[in-house]
Amino acid sequence: MTAQQPIERKHKRKRSAKTFWLTTMMLPVTVWLLLIRYLPMFGISLSFLDYRLPTRKLPFPRNLFKSPWVGLKNFNFLFTSESVTMIRNTIGYNALWIVLGLLISVSFAILMSELTKKFLAKTYQTMMFFPYFLSWVVVAYFLFAFLDPTNGMISRAQKAAGGEVIDWYNTPKYWPYILTICSIWKNTGYSTVLYLSAITGIDRTQYEAAAVDGATKWQQLIHVTLPHLKPMIIILLIMNVGKIFNADFGLFWSVPMNSAPLFSVTQVVDTYVYRAYTSTGNVGMSTAAGFLQNLVGFICIMAANSIVRNLDADSSLF
Amino acid sequence: MTAIPKKTAIPKKAREHFRLNAVSRKTEAAFHLVLGIFALACIIPFVFVIIISFSSEDSIRRIGYSFMPQAWSLAAYEQVFRLGDALWRSYFNSFFITVVGTVISVVMCILYAYPLYRKDYKFRGFFSFLSFFTMIFGGGLIPTYIVCKDLLGMSNNYYALIVPMLVSPFYIIIMRTFFQTTVPFDLIEAATIDGSGEYTTLVRVVLPIMKPGIATVALLTALGYWNEWFLCLLYVTDRKLYPLQYLLMEMQRNAEFLARNSSMIGASGADAIRTLPSQTMRMAVVVFIVLPIACAYPFFQRYVVEGLTIGSVKG
Amino acid sequence: MKKMLALLLAAMMLLAVVPVFAEGPVEITMLLEGNNVTDDAAVLEKLNAYLAEKIGVTLKPTWGTWGNFDQLALDYVNSSRNEYDILFTCSWTSNEYAKYAKKDAYVRLDDPEDNLLEKYGADLTATLPELLFEGAKTEGIDGEKGIYAVPGFKDFATMNTWDVNVTLLEKYGYTLEDVKNAGFYGWGDIFKTVKEGEEKDGEVFYPFVFEGAVVERFVTGTPIVTGDSNSLLSYYMNTEDVSTPGAYGNVFFNKYATPEFEKFVKQMREYYLAGYIDPAIAIGETATDTWRNAQNTARYLISSEVSLYGYEYTTSEARGIQVAYLMTTDAPYIDNTSVQGAMMAISSKSEHPEEAMKFLNLLNTDPYVMTLLNYGVEGIHYTLNDAGEVEFIPEARATYSPWTNGVGNVTILPPQKGQGADFQQRFAEFYAGSKKLPIYGFTFDSKPVEIEIAAVVNVKEAYALSLCTGAVDPETALPELLAKLEAAGMQKIVDEANAQLKTFLGE
Repeated sequence: MTAQQPIERKHKRKRSAKTFWLTTMMLPVTVWLLLIRYLPMFGISLSFLDYRLPTRKLPFPRNLFKSPWVGLKNFNFLFTSESVTMIRNTIGYNALWIVLGLLISVSFAILMSELTKKFLAKTYQTMMFFPYFLSWVVVAYFLFAFLDPTNGMISRAQKAAGGEVIDWYNTPKYWPYILTICSIWKNTGYSTVLYLSAITGIDRTQYEAAAVDGATKWQQLIHVTLPHLKPMIIILLIMNVGKIFNADFGLFWSVPMNSAPLFSVTQVVDTYVYRAYTSTGNVGMSTAAGFLQNLVGFICIMAANSIVRNLDADSSLF
Repeated sequence: MTAIPKKTAIPKKAREHFRLNAVSRKTEAAFHLVLGIFALACIIPFVFVIIISFSSEDSIRRIGYSFMPQAWSLAAYEQVFRLGDALWRSYFNSFFITVVGTVISVVMCILYAYPLYRKDYKFRGFFSFLSFFTMIFGGGLIPTYIVCKDLLGMSNNYYALIVPMLVSPFYIIIMRTFFQTTVPFDLIEAATIDGSGEYTTLVRVVLPIMKPGIATVALLTALGYWNEWFLCLLYVTDRKLYPLQYLLMEMQRNAEFLARNSSMIGASGADAIRTLPSQTMRMAVVVFIVLPIACAYPFFQRYVVEGLTIGSVKG
Repeated sequence: MKKMLALLLAAMMLLAVVPVFAEGPVEITMLLEGNNVTDDAAVLEKLNAYLAEKIGVTLKPTWGTWGNFDQLALDYVNSSRNEYDILFTCSWTSNEYAKYAKKDAYVRLDDPEDNLLEKYGADLTATLPELLFEGAKTEGIDGEKGIYAVPGFKDFATMNTWDVNVTLLEKYGYTLEDVKNAGFYGWGDIFKTVKEGEEKDGEVFYPFVFEGAVVERFVTGTPIVTGDSNSLLSYYMNTEDVSTPGAYGNVFFNKYATPEFEKFVKQMREYYLAGYIDPAIAIGETATDTWRNAQNTARYLISSEVSLYGYEYTTSEARGIQVAYLMTTDAPYIDNTSVQGAMMAISSKSEHPEEAMKFLNLLNTDPYVMTLLNYGVEGIHYTLNDAGEVEFIPEARATYSPWTNGVGNVTILPPQKGQGADFQQRFAEFYAGSKKLPIYGFTFDSKPVEIEIAAVVNVKEAYALSLCTGAVDPETALPELLAKLEAAGMQKIVDEANAQLKTFLGE
């Protein structure tokens, strides 16, 4: 025992030194998180208060204590008859795009992996990735060039053909398609690369073995490719499901040019909350909405994860 | 990322074998058609906007936006260049913010992700949670604003345009996955036994093999900075600090605001609207914003694809 | 580590809270709206030397632009607000005067316990017309009526007009009288003739361009109800004599549910289908560009304009045609919205309310200060011609052009080129002839129905512009809108407004 002691002590010292140095690495991000993410969380309390503005006599944070408690009143505006539309839109678009995005990018990845002309495959990939790098404001201008009622290419073509010019920015019925196209257009490149990389990671001999056994291409796809893609599909699904109550603000705000007649199909939680904030200036209400979004996201992510864990423990996120 | 390792010469027999196990030529042609059309659709709008920005106003009035305008013109760019200093300064700002932000951000990201990857690090669970939790819960716009502006002094400085975006828990997760998939743990143990300090191990041993991963996170971060404008709207009123993206955004917001309130502003609002930039000029600004991305990205793309390939495999 | 952090935080908070005591003049910070200022160094140098000498103050303005002011001001009033002593406010920006006075964002200037107006604003009180202060009275957090901002002395009465391109009108043999006599509902024939004539060379011509969001007010004779910034309520004026109540008396309606509104949107639809209205006017994003572009290039016949005295001259000159304005009421009308159209408030967080008041007093009474801040430095930004009129030097003016109405008392400014030396006098006389609305002084407090408003606004936004521009068919869209408004709680808002009005009128 006595002979072992110094070695153990040395180990311990080494271990604590290691822990110390590794912890110092965590410091910059930790400080950032505490200051910029955790500190503002006091704001969650605003969801339940009739927020009083700070003044000279009642500076921040004392104004918080003088703000009357109003319970769940700030949440009410999220549950009016109007909010049904935006909740339907948010969840509907998200669900549709998760499924559609998955189908398209997995198919594209598979198609691409089958190409023998690798140079072309690479070129496609480079081109498809491009939209991912643009901001929605920029995308909005791209779209506007086609749909602008006076000068847009499509509008002019319609006029030239003598047909009726579609008033795109005033006609809601087209926008579910337009938004879907925009979302797919922008994000497919990125996820295709992800899936393609997973496919290329698959050991080629598995395919060859299958081919030798007389498996068709389709059977190879079902029995080799898809099972290998499963873990990644699941992780991305869980992540997306967690965000099902959050919408891409830029897409729904900038791309339809903030056009009011389209609200029935472009209003989502984020835009609804922002509009409510700018029209009423009520901090409590917007904070309440954000808090509820977080809560729903949290529940969704947990639910999705536990479902996955029950089906296949290895694939769950945590 | 290619299916066949590029540099190794493939024996002829094997090559035939691949062909044997490949889809028929007809099917492959169909694949090319589908992918090719989609790929073209991804860049055509940008080409279109470039063409519009060079079209003459007269041509636009006659035939609208067209791939083949009746007359070309530099008028939109003359208008943009008339912004003079404001344009170049905002170009500089965008580059500056992007470069500085990305460097700091990536360094912080590496420093945080590395111990998370170390299975032998004691507080791994705690710090994982610390960052993951912020992916889901936040304080909201105004409380964050109060903290950033009033407690941390982010107002009219570069600091305000850089700091709020420094950390992304999502990129931390990506970076950690890179570590898990590319850096064998034995390597670190070996270094430790050699008596190498933690920082030395990280810099000398780990980072050199992490290049694609770092490039990926760096590019994604850089894009975030390049496309950002909301921070500027929140924290900056000094025009000398405007990034390019905000310059465009402000043109748009000006137009939008004047549209909503012109009856309130009254007649003097008409003058304000007269000086608003035309649509073609805004298209030209769009070209200015996208051009650096379009130029730089093919070079980075290779690393990013490589990086994503490694990072996405679940470790 | 946590302790360290706590210490660090505490230190930061302290730094943020403790005011800096310094010798010399006090720096006053001010947030303005709608400017195009990129270089204010020359102005500030002169101004601050003068201010320091005169009242011991220096000024540091933040030139908000149209595009960023709303967000800046909204976040500012709602946050801990260490930044501005003075800020622009009014009835139509996000930091809405009446709403935020009620929320305690601004210092009460006529506070009986600390009457800043009396102490430091004597000249100001003497200079501005009494009715401006009357219109600026609004409720504070304690429910007491008071003055929470200095109203701008400008064209304080609203003048809704049809802007007519007389040159074009006469080309087709019509006169201004024809337009006036036919009225909005009878312009079809004139539009038809002019459209057909102008389109002979193959270019599209839309004779009727207007501001879709407000043109309804011109036709139905409904002023903005102060406090109803989302345009939900209608009050019907007597357009023959705006100082007396209209046919319905002093009462508010759901704007979209009246027969007047229905008649208006049906007519608009007719004009729209006949091709008299540019579809781009119906899209929020392009509406104003289209409207103003048509005006500026003189490619219109009739347009809408909230005009002001002497504006015919400016626009005729700029557009190269003869422009005439037909007023839609018998006289310009004074309502709280126009009086509260541009104001300067002192932030309730300001550490220097007294100095701020001293500065506002000077800004509204001292021509030197006002001219310097608005027009810049003589010799750099403008020159004075023999008639004593201001002639701008374009290059310098391009780097320094604040929004004049948003600053202060415009009546102490020198006239601009072409206005004539006695412009201010004529201007004042003209507005002296304006009339007060019967509900002048009333401000709708939206706080009790905030939830309903949040929902209703989203409904209304989806329909209003397209209905008012004729872009959608009112036969289907109007009933839809009304049903949705009803479901979102519109009636509650109208009832609340009427109840408040009754209290106000003392019924």
